[in-house]
Amino acid sequence: MNRLTFHNTTLHLILALLTGLGLGLAYSWFISPVTYVDANPAILRADFKDQYRVVIAASYASTHDLPRARARLELLSDTDPIGELSAQAQRMVGLGESLERAQPLVQLATDLQQGFASVSPTATHFTNTNIFNTPNIETTVDELSATETPTTQLIEEATPFPTLSFEQTPLVPIQVTTNTPRPTRWTAAPIPGPGTPFILAGQDSICEPGLPSSLLQFILMDGRRKQVPGIEIIVTWSQGEDRFFTGFKPELGNGFADFVMQANIIYNVRVVEGGAFVPNISAPSCTDPNGVKYSGGLLLTFQQP
Amino acid sequence: MTSSNLIKIAIAISIGIALGLIYGWVIDPIEYTDVPPNILRQDYRVDYVLMVAEAFQNDHNPETAARHLATLGSEPPATITTSALEYANRNGFTQNEILALQNLLTAMQMVQPPGINTP
Repeated sequence: MNRLTFHNTTLHLILALLTGLGLGLAYSWFISPVTYVDANPAILRADFKDQYRVVIAASYASTHDLPRARARLELLSDTDPIGELSAQAQRMVGLGESLERAQPLVQLATDLQQGFASVSPTATHFTNTNIFNTPNIETTVDELSATETPTTQLIEEATPFPTLSFEQTPLVPIQVTTNTPRPTRWTAAPIPGPGTPFILAGQDSICEPGLPSSLLQFILMDGRRKQVPGIEIIVTWSQGEDRFFTGFKPELGNGFADFVMQANIIYNVRVVEGGAFVPNISAPSCTDPNGVKYSGGLLLTFQQP
Repeated sequence: MTSSNLIKIAIAISIGIALGLIYGWVIDPIEYTDVPPNILRQDYRVDYVLMVAEAFQNDHNPETAARHLATLGSEPPATITTSALEYANRNGFTQNEILALQNLLTAMQMVQPPGINTP
């Protein structure tokens, strides 16, 4: 009898404890959960992260402080910051926003890819003097505000707008594959004016089973063989049309663009700037080592004179 | 049930509640994702305003700057910029950064923010 009473009491205590635990959890999780007041950018909602990237890119367009822009992007904890910038730029253009709005994102992605600021600063207001430390997510902005721009020396010499004298080897098969070292100084050189026509410099079939089939690739270069971003290309076929721009995949080259063709369809290609026109494009037929036929790719290289 | 047992049960409930609160608030609190920018830590907010100020130095577009600042909350953009400027002055921002914030503040003081709210 005594044992039964003891068990009853213990059972009551355990039940009471569990009830209390449940009440405590309900209160702390649902009624009065922890409120965030000091959030970091990494947990922002996706659309706010997009907004954050736009502001980072706009700031970078003004300061050309690449390390600082990189540090700010790291606050978002993207696994592939360059890819995110490119993807966001493509989304923006796809949603009908102007290329002008997407351009700073593309420019920042491009410069992050190549590792240095590619355009001279338009203002001299933001020359920092301290030493830059690679930040992480715990780095406060106070620390970030005291960053140095390793490229400062590089870009300070550039007045007025120069152009870089280097070649970037595309990541696709091309007939010329010279690997020119990156410049250590800016070289002022005349820039082909806007509207200077692009001329078809090469049309090469690419039979590589590793590449997506029927991939039409473009590389647009200026007169110094520097790849040119932001050039609109129009591909038309009997039942449709597609428009896109170079430079949205900076990891493959600033002047790179691509388009997936359908087998047995004839396409016409037009470079809007300068009006270069290439008719009757179709996916070439290739044969793999086992004798199996497949649709290969095509590389069109345009260059300004 | 004796009063002694009732007291024991009350104590057990209290302990349970305390454990629940500790677990829910400290050990495994609700983790927030997808938060809006208005709860960013102050230094991140200030850096965001600084970025807007730097961009404004380049494009001189007060509407765009006001739209970017509106992301931080429903306060007028001039108020947000003023707070950032005060923070910058207290925390040793460079003269160039403070100048950029002052220029932005001047522009924001002339902007009427109709319908600018946190999305």
